Amino acid sequence: MVKVALAPLAMETVEAASGLEAIERLAVAPINLMVLDLNMPDMHGLEVLGFVRANQKFHNIPIIVLTTRDDAASRDAAAQAGATRYLTKPFKPEALLTEARQVLDAPVPGAR
Amino acid sequence: MSDQLDSFLDDYFAEAEEHLAVIRRALLILEQSIGRPRPDAANLEELFRSFHSLKGIAGMVDHRETETLAHELESYLRAIREGDTAINTAGMDALIKGAGTLEASIAARRANAPAVDTAAIAAELRGFAAATPSDARADAPVAIAANCSCIFTPSPALIARGINVDVVRARLREIGEIISAAPMITSQGAVAFQFAVRGTLTDEQAAAWRNDGMAFSAIAPGSAIGPTASEDSGAAAGAILSSGHYVRVDLARLDELMRMIGNLVILRSRLNDTVERSERHLPAAHYRAMQDDAEAIERELRELREGVMRVRLVPVGEIFRRMPFMVRDLARETGRSVNVVMSGHDTKIDKFLVERMMDPVLHIVRNAVSHGVESPEERQASGKPLAATLRLGASASGETVVIEIADDGRGIDAERVAARARLVGLPVPSGPLDNATLLELISAPGFSTRDKSDRVSGRGFGMNVVRETLQELGGRMQLETERGHGTRFIIELPLTLAITAAMLARVGDQVFAIPQASVREVAEIEAASIRALQGSEIVEFRGAPLPVVRLSSALGCRETPLDRFHAFVVGSGAAAVGILVDRIVGHREIVVRATSDPLIRVDAVTGATDLGDGRAVLILDVAAIARQARDRGARRGLAVVKDIA
Repeated sequence: MVKVALAPLAMETVEAASGLEAIERLAVAPINLMVLDLNMPDMHGLEVLGFVRANQKFHNIPIIVLTTRDDAASRDAAAQAGATRYLTKPFKPEALLTEARQVLDAPVPGAR
Repeated sequence: MSDQLDSFLDDYFAEAEEHLAVIRRALLILEQSIGRPRPDAANLEELFRSFHSLKGIAGMVDHRETETLAHELESYLRAIREGDTAINTAGMDALIKGAGTLEASIAARRANAPAVDTAAIAAELRGFAAATPSDARADAPVAIAANCSCIFTPSPALIARGINVDVVRARLREIGEIISAAPMITSQGAVAFQFAVRGTLTDEQAAAWRNDGMAFSAIAPGSAIGPTASEDSGAAAGAILSSGHYVRVDLARLDELMRMIGNLVILRSRLNDTVERSERHLPAAHYRAMQDDAEAIERELRELREGVMRVRLVPVGEIFRRMPFMVRDLARETGRSVNVVMSGHDTKIDKFLVERMMDPVLHIVRNAVSHGVESPEERQASGKPLAATLRLGASASGETVVIEIADDGRGIDAERVAARARLVGLPVPSGPLDNATLLELISAPGFSTRDKSDRVSGRGFGMNVVRETLQELGGRMQLETERGHGTRFIIELPLTLAITAAMLARVGDQVFAIPQASVREVAEIEAASIRALQGSEIVEFRGAPLPVVRLSSALGCRETPLDRFHAFVVGSGAAAVGILVDRIVGHREIVVRATSDPLIRVDAVTGATDLGDGRAVLILDVAAIARQARDRGARRGLAVVKDIA
């Protein structure tokens, strides 16, 4: 679904099924944007965020958190951990696309 | 600063206690391997690691004698492990003695008592270690790593070959259990993943996988792997001892949580009363909705309470595990042979109860070995197996935990008990003594048939203290004994103390709460059926005479003339007593607030509770009331009722 929503960007999308895999993808290929779920089998999304943001190499990659959690605490926690944007599921494809366009164009992505 | 130091020391004691528990269990397993070619490697490893960790933490708090002793224990174990040798009885004794001294040394430091002398046993262990051939083969088996770490560094080339982190994870699962998995940055600045695995890796696997970016190394025992992301944290709970899965919590904090929940329980019942009162003033739909919400809160609250209670629960095995050592020593000293059989040691019980029950259970077990079990000759003469069997069992039933301690010894000699009781001036009923009465007598203050040679006597801990401790904890004890066949103590304890189910009873214009666990039965008694007998009252109940006591007169309340009473039957057998109240008016969960102030402490009252409507209600210790009634009755010769009825 995310892939479909972002298709108009005409960028290559890779998927990762777990937190570790997501980090692996970041490590082995240049990544321009990350769309991250908070619920994953091995690591919590916030842990992935924390790891990614703690490394200079990935510091500027925009990360859109896409989650079912719609509460202020989760939003705050994600922002603190370094999320660029926060979107809740169910989501409108256009909304994700708009967010993605914005963060990709933004001069200094990464809200830290 | 000193606070910090104190809390640091508290951590030390708590952690030491955990290591000692592991050590006790592992030593028992090790003992079974005496005479066998080689001890169980995993167990040896665990034991080794525990001594090693203890040494480490003792060093941190500058507790030198413990550190040195733990070091010697560790060295001896290393010698056994590396020498790949069998363990003998003398060596085992030294290990057990060493572990016991270690425990005593830590306990002494905790109590600010003079340091325990550890030098002698440390020297003994050093001797054993030196005598153990440690011909560790130079080419130690790398192939089998009991515990290993794997670092996988992904690369585009590997990904192209289909080797990614998920493939690596699947491979590691093949060889064992993944304890932790976490991303890391290597010294070259590359992203890598670190896995801690408990499993067996063969040389072939290691070699093949090394080409796929997987680097293996053995994890030194006792060392911790860095930041961990828990892998399948829900699975195999308990099997994993990795420290990352557990949090240590101060018991006082849990007490605090329990207290808060108690307040919530009271507030909820107040809310309930308000809801009920609002019925007349509210539209039906509103009232119904409010009632639903109040019920939902009650359900959630019960779950919350049970959740917190579960956190406080620890296995009864913590009590049991100490027994085999004690039995072993005592049996050796007295020339007996005793096998200890334990069951249900995973049964969970409140941590506080475990601590309080340790000494009572120890006492009963000691009694069983020194009084209950016969000498091998005597056993042979009566056709019994030479080795006696001591059974320790635990089981849970509803809100109570049952602990049983049974031996197959000679049983309790009722005549000797009766003679002794008369000697020390205790009232003894005529005729044969039933088990309940026997228990009463042996638990009476002042009763003790100890021989001066017993170790037990040094402890100043008799059955009387056992009974008192149980009463304090809201527990009960039963005795079953048969001459020539053995003795069994059955202890019933509430799972937890703070909140309990109780019945509310009215006497005159007062309401009292009676914990349900202390009541055996509830009955309705016709006033006309009560017969006076030598200043006491009895009724016929289930075909036997039951002494009854009016709560109004026991507590000095105003008495209401009634045609019928409700009665709580407390105790069993000849010790049963019926406690009469005007009416039982309700049943609910109450929060027990203990009365600890000695100024207001009364034997018959264990505490107070708040019913939620602002009324404070006393919680009665019906067992104590029954006991007082029996004692009074016994002095007046109530014991003859058996013959009359």
